[in-house]
Amino acid sequence: MEKERTEVDELDRSIYDFRYEEKDFYRVREGLTEEIVLEISKEKNDPEWMRKKRLEALKIYNELKVPDWGPDISGLNIDDIVTYVRPNTAMKGSWDEVPEDIKNTFERLGIPQAERKSLAGVGAQYDSELVYHNVKDEVSELGVVYTDMESALTGEYEQMVRDHFMKLVPPTDHKFAALHGAVWSGGSFVYVPPGVRVDIPLQSYFRLNAAGAGQFEHTLIIVSEGAELHFIEGCSAPKYNVANLHAGCVELYVGKNAKLRYSTIENWSKNMYNLNTKRAICEEGGIIEWISGSFGSHVSYLYPSSILKGDDSHAEFTGITFAGSGQNLDTGAKMVHIGKRTSSFINTKSISKAGGISTYRSSVIITEGAVDSKASVSCASLMLDDISRSDTVPAMDIRTDRADVGHEAKIGRISDDAVFYLMSRGIPEEDAKAMIVSGFADPVSKELPLEYAVEMNNLIQLEMKGAIG
Amino acid sequence: MEKKDLELILNSLPTLTWNSLKLNSTVFKDSIDLNGRGECIIHNIPSGVIIGSEGCDGCERGRDAVEAISGAQPRLKPSLFKEMKTGMGPEAKNFFNKYCHETLSIRAMCTASADKPLKINYLPGNEDGYVVKQNITAEAGSNLTVIMDYSGRPEDSGFFGIQTQIFAAEDSVVNIIKLELLGRNYTHFENIGGVVGDNARVNVIQMILGGGKSYVGLNMELSGYRSSFEGNVGYLCLNDQKLDMNYYMGHSGRRSTSSLRVEGALRDSASKTFRGTIDLKHGAKGACGDEQEGTLLLSKDVRNKTLPVILCDEDDVEGTHGASIGRLSAELLFYMQSRGISEKEAELLMTKAKINTVRSLIKDESSIGKVQHYMEEAFG
Repeated sequence: MEKERTEVDELDRSIYDFRYEEKDFYRVREGLTEEIVLEISKEKNDPEWMRKKRLEALKIYNELKVPDWGPDISGLNIDDIVTYVRPNTAMKGSWDEVPEDIKNTFERLGIPQAERKSLAGVGAQYDSELVYHNVKDEVSELGVVYTDMESALTGEYEQMVRDHFMKLVPPTDHKFAALHGAVWSGGSFVYVPPGVRVDIPLQSYFRLNAAGAGQFEHTLIIVSEGAELHFIEGCSAPKYNVANLHAGCVELYVGKNAKLRYSTIENWSKNMYNLNTKRAICEEGGIIEWISGSFGSHVSYLYPSSILKGDDSHAEFTGITFAGSGQNLDTGAKMVHIGKRTSSFINTKSISKAGGISTYRSSVIITEGAVDSKASVSCASLMLDDISRSDTVPAMDIRTDRADVGHEAKIGRISDDAVFYLMSRGIPEEDAKAMIVSGFADPVSKELPLEYAVEMNNLIQLEMKGAIG
Repeated sequence: MEKKDLELILNSLPTLTWNSLKLNSTVFKDSIDLNGRGECIIHNIPSGVIIGSEGCDGCERGRDAVEAISGAQPRLKPSLFKEMKTGMGPEAKNFFNKYCHETLSIRAMCTASADKPLKINYLPGNEDGYVVKQNITAEAGSNLTVIMDYSGRPEDSGFFGIQTQIFAAEDSVVNIIKLELLGRNYTHFENIGGVVGDNARVNVIQMILGGGKSYVGLNMELSGYRSSFEGNVGYLCLNDQKLDMNYYMGHSGRRSTSSLRVEGALRDSASKTFRGTIDLKHGAKGACGDEQEGTLLLSKDVRNKTLPVILCDEDDVEGTHGASIGRLSAELLFYMQSRGISEKEAELLMTKAKINTVRSLIKDESSIGKVQHYMEEAFG
């Protein structure tokens, strides 16, 4: 006899799925050519070194092949993608100055409200450029720099940007890193001086409004020795019938004894190819914490990686992926241990339903010099019906004896035993099932700031029906 | 003496991951002398077991065996062994078909019982190049235990390839015990495939101790209702030994179960790659698969790669994996040292303990003696 299943609703995307018409926006033509790359570079007033870097990246892009592993991306044709769309406004420091349609978009997404309530600074990107950027005075007075990448590129931090830009994620890393190097635009630059602790988070929100466009923002964060920062990244887009592309790049430099928490709630629409690259490098005693919620996109390739270069550095990745109908989300993390006594911890959860495909993919590499290092990987996948799919592909490469690596993985449906256990203690069946599913996602939601935990719980609308036999 | 230049892609994963990890498959490139020298000794044939032996084109004999029982298993095609997938992959299978020197067809009738194991000793000598195949058919309700060992002197070099294909018909039990005790400079191919029918069980115990370069693959298709597979693998890699493993358990039968445990140790500059896949296919309701791996690292120059994969296309299933890789824990070491046991002795003790967890499953005294002797020699 078939077992009844716990029903979990699809994510409610109505709050994201709205759009405004483009009015007088500047856009390059579709495709990727040297001419287009030079046009973007000219429009953005790149310094000469950046123009050269873009052209080098384009050359690399043309030489590299698309990945032969992972989800199918044959539906993505770069010749159909518009790589640069600039809204008809310059970046503003006040929401009142932002054009009405764009302001309305971010208000419906709750960004200005969040800024007033709980953030130290906000950057809001609309298509290819930032339209709003602001940081609280008390944070600026500490010497914290939070600005758009374009300003950083030509201002007093140009050398710092030049020293770090695409050094952690070189264009040779993979084809879409090269694409990013060629056509990147927008994104944020953050510099936290030594010893400065930013107690409340900074946030960047990326909204892709244009149909058939790509978003290629670059986020560069440098947290100096002994400093601390929590950075939040959010993203969404309305759904179109044509493919959209997100190939952003995040480079995080965590200094000696510094700490950075990078939280992401990814909510792209289901026509989005999310081919994002995120990487952090930690110096001695540095700590990087990734919190990641992947709910949107048609196809995702997302594996934040941590390079534990300094002795005693530490990385944690906590992530949840929800793959629903029409989604193929390939997510996970990479850890590279180089320094002595480094440690890493990966804890992921994934839920597949309505034909969604969720793949957990990771790698842990303990290099020869990373003596006395420890790594732990835990991944759990919940299957909510028999038309969905869930795979785990965790790799470990250990090159020294002085290491301890542990791994555990589990795939299955809601455990009958767990429901029975809770029911035997007087909890009604429906409540027991609700507790198990929310408990499954709990390790991630409890790590998010309250507002985002609420958002995530709203995203996973649980509706229990029938019994689990 | 004719050497063959071989370039084969072996032990490919059923799903790919980052190429930079060099785990998706292994490229075997070597020039080997397949001179056909080597000896096979069969003894202790139990009642109800029929053995046929022939020359190079042994797969035909395997086909006969299946045809003989095709009435009992109409679902199975006569060309089962020919089409059966093996763990090392299609290029390895082609290699065995092309260069096989001898094939054994082993058929267990329904009257066969496991009270007496069939023993096969392969004795590849120094500078031998010997390739053999075995097609094992367990008829419905039969019970068969086969113990194979491949032994050589520690200083021997050469090549030994063995392909074992197993068809376990309904309600049958097949126990395979393999002891690999080849010389230190031997290259070894161990290519296993199997199809398990309704309520049938296949248990494989492998002790991989010798050989310089060992390539081991297993592909077990659990196609029958309540079919099951249990694998226990113990290994020891010393000096510059290389061990490359690929295990695949495909669940298509309802309530099928698989369990794989791999325990071993690496010392000196040895390296090991382990790939293990549990594939819970659509329709395999109630299926369970479990993999557990424990690796003890004993020297700074060892290299261990592990890739445990779970593929899940069904919701009413359970797939689990656990791995523990590292040196002796500080707590354990302290415990031992506080009782007068030195670090070296503690390592030896724990290595033996790991191997013994698998060795203890072998019920044959002479096999246990061989493993013990090998371990004593290895650790001096």
